[in-house]
Amino acid sequence: MNLTGMSYEELMEEAYDLPGGKAKLELLEQAVRVADAAGDLDQGFEARSEIVDTGSFHGYPMKALVAFSWQLGQYDKNPDRFDSFTLLWSYKWVLDRITSFADISRVQIENLLEDMKIRFAAEGYSSRSYHYYRAHIFAEFGELDNSQAEWDIVQTMDRDEMSDCPACEQNRLVEFLAKRGDDEGTLKAAEPILKGKMSCGEVPHVTITKVLFPLLRLGRQQEADKLQKKGFRLVKGNRDFLYHQGEHIGYLTLTDPIKALGVFEEYIASSLDHENPVDRMIFNAYSAKLFRQLAGESIRFQVKLPAGHPCEHQSGEVTLLAKHFQQAAFATAEKLDKRNGNDYYTALLQRL
Amino acid sequence: MNNQTQDTYRFQVNLSGMINILSNHLYSSPKVFLRELLQNGIDAITARQAYSQGGYEGRIHVEVSRSSTGATLLIEDNGIGLDESEIHEFLAMIGQSSKRSEDFLQTNTSFIGRFGIGLLSCFMVSDDIVMLTQSAKGGPALEWRGKPDGTYTIRRLEGIHAAGTKVFLRCKEGSELYFEEGNLQEWLFHYGALLPYPIQLVSNQTTRLINPPSPPWVKDPQLARKHRSEVLAFGRQVLGETFRDFIPLHTASGRTGGIAFILPQAVNLGAKRNHRVYLKHMLVSEAAGNILPDWAFFVKCLIWTDELQPTASREHFYENVQLEQVREELGNTIRQELMRMAEYDPDRLQSIISLHALSMKALAVEDSSFYSIIHEWLPFESSFGTRPLGELKQQSPLYFTATLDEYRQITHVASAQSMLVVNGGYIYDAELLSLLPLIDPDVQTERLLPEEVSLSFTDITPQERLDYYESVRLADSVLQKFRCQVQLRRFKPEEIPVLYTLSQESAQWRVMEAAKEVSTDALSSVLGSLGASIKDAAYATLYFNMNNPVIARAFHPAHIAMLPSIVEMLYCNALMMGHYPMNRQETALLNKGIIQFIDWGMTASHSTGGDE
Repeated sequence: MNLTGMSYEELMEEAYDLPGGKAKLELLEQAVRVADAAGDLDQGFEARSEIVDTGSFHGYPMKALVAFSWQLGQYDKNPDRFDSFTLLWSYKWVLDRITSFADISRVQIENLLEDMKIRFAAEGYSSRSYHYYRAHIFAEFGELDNSQAEWDIVQTMDRDEMSDCPACEQNRLVEFLAKRGDDEGTLKAAEPILKGKMSCGEVPHVTITKVLFPLLRLGRQQEADKLQKKGFRLVKGNRDFLYHQGEHIGYLTLTDPIKALGVFEEYIASSLDHENPVDRMIFNAYSAKLFRQLAGESIRFQVKLPAGHPCEHQSGEVTLLAKHFQQAAFATAEKLDKRNGNDYYTALLQRL
Repeated sequence: MNNQTQDTYRFQVNLSGMINILSNHLYSSPKVFLRELLQNGIDAITARQAYSQGGYEGRIHVEVSRSSTGATLLIEDNGIGLDESEIHEFLAMIGQSSKRSEDFLQTNTSFIGRFGIGLLSCFMVSDDIVMLTQSAKGGPALEWRGKPDGTYTIRRLEGIHAAGTKVFLRCKEGSELYFEEGNLQEWLFHYGALLPYPIQLVSNQTTRLINPPSPPWVKDPQLARKHRSEVLAFGRQVLGETFRDFIPLHTASGRTGGIAFILPQAVNLGAKRNHRVYLKHMLVSEAAGNILPDWAFFVKCLIWTDELQPTASREHFYENVQLEQVREELGNTIRQELMRMAEYDPDRLQSIISLHALSMKALAVEDSSFYSIIHEWLPFESSFGTRPLGELKQQSPLYFTATLDEYRQITHVASAQSMLVVNGGYIYDAELLSLLPLIDPDVQTERLLPEEVSLSFTDITPQERLDYYESVRLADSVLQKFRCQVQLRRFKPEEIPVLYTLSQESAQWRVMEAAKEVSTDALSSVLGSLGASIKDAAYATLYFNMNNPVIARAFHPAHIAMLPSIVEMLYCNALMMGHYPMNRQETALLNKGIIQFIDWGMTASHSTGGDE
């Protein structure tokens, strides 16, 4: 395929046909170059919308952030030219993942939140989304009490067109309660989702791993095993769910380590060029735990690692692999903690 | 919800509401009334087979008389028939169902219940339904007449009637289409092509058989191999496409079978999968996408099953454990056939791969044993052209780029150096190349970064190094502010004056800088912080080709005054050729440079009088 010879339309058409992932993003990026070279703002905006979408939901949040930054800038410079509704939704997606980058300071994140608040208000939407995102961001900072206070506000307000779907919101609540370590509360909040009364494109996919550990702790392994199988089917093969694939490794390490190794081998390649540091950290941390577990077994394991992996030639030494993944995970956790001003993530990894 | 102490009431049947649901929300087209009536006939025949225990042969008879609005249609089966209590039962069932809207079709699988719903669908094309039925279990024959407003009458008939059911429909205005002979013939075949009983269509004294006697390979798909031309002809008749090859499908339980026809043309990854699925011999879906694994987009299938649960509209299947198992088994059949071909019939495999490489790669990524068996045939784009992997892997280590962008940067230069580089940028390719050593331990693959292609360049001599020292230092200082360094080399082809390579971080950094220039304050500041973290790793290199006579002259100390502008212009040119976003500084450079060269050109032409 001769990428350089393709027109904007050809590139976009080809991109629409591909599943979300690296190849699709490359076509979209080339479409952006072609549009920019021609000075076509509308095409540049359209192609970047697709990058925001694909990048947000297929493991390239940095690319999404960069494309969105251009969009928002052009939106302000060219009043009434572009649609605000999708742009504000993209803003939400960017804020969903912004805390994952330790290089972005708290002040910068706060500024974005305030900017979002003003823009939402200007378009006539309520400040519920603002508080919802504050709740999310505080939780990501590891400040659970602050997050709780925002949740309390959110729950008194009416949903509007900018609100996540009810299933996604319920899932956020489940995630929050899981962070608090409230096993009973987590299970109770997850019930309508697990019973199938609430669902969407990503729920219950992302909810199931949140209840596996609570169920196990409460001695309900049979239920957990069944859910794990179901949940894994849902996140299988989609690189957006690296975080959850990591959690599946974590659960299986406790119940069926050989299967956990299979899951690790399936996703190690996609973890390598995944742009979300937090997702990679969780994947690495659970992988480290798995290898520590395997090191205690009497059999020797030969781990399949993709070409180019730094441990490619140590694939038989699980102790070494455990160390490698542990270090990688802690390096990220320390950076995050430094930015956040606490020890939430290092403590979290130690607890795993 | 049911409280034991309360009386249970039933909702009144609101037939017109029901019909509205059926026709507007549930079925894809009114023509499905034919499918529903056929289904009723089959269910009745199946019930009678069980009841009479042998010596009985089912048949379905369809008769159309007169045309346009006066047309009537008779559908008759010689099945079990209904007695009076059963008629009341299905009517009650409809009553019960009406409050549950669409749900009922999915839960209600009993013969009688379905019978009633099927009959209701006829109101989409007829305002007047008459059913004559004689139960095989005895009792009087009955006539049921229904109106769309929900009123009906039941009458006992005198005399002796053969067991079975006749349904008469009168064409309602606007539904003439559904009573036309040609359409009836086509649709009856469409729905009932695989029925094991004969369907007869009678009109104007002509009688024809709609469906061929059930071919042996429907019972045992493996037999299809022995009936190649018949199977292909059947595929053409039913699916309307000409195929050249197929793979028989079956599951271990024997409850699902089929034929996967290999599409004679390449298809897009995102193309809709329209498999045709028959449930208990009857067509349920023409657009079942979820019955085969995602990677199997190179086939179009006829599938027959009796183990899957259709959705309410009976046009798709529920995504459940059973479907997943069937999907996996059918996928396995296809996979095994391909693996068998690799061993016994490589030419056949080759012709499939040449059309459907993408599908094969999608499967290979998921399944390394499959990959290991077919990998030699998979085509990859390389600096030597598109070649099968079996040929490419002779070269070890095998170099590949991880992205299209990287490949684009080096492909011309690499091929001029006779260097083999595989393009890993297209979907699945980089993954497969990095997996290659795991399935063939004799092969090493290595990801090539654009700057590494320079390893095959010829260094300049120590003397040249000395001669050009000042020029290179000057050139380097010119590009320093763009995080780009200058190198002198000799490489082919000599027509290429410079080669610009940049690291992934550098590419990312450039895009970030460009976005920063137009973005809002809050986001620009964020991009600045993110950029700072990759800036250190972000570097680019501009290789100047000393084999190119102009470049050799440019670096000559005699031209040192012009060198900064030359370097700047070649740098900008490289960015434009590579479609890299240019920042304000670079654009300004370009503008200044062009004016500069025009000026120099005119001065030179003036001093020589214009004819050098």
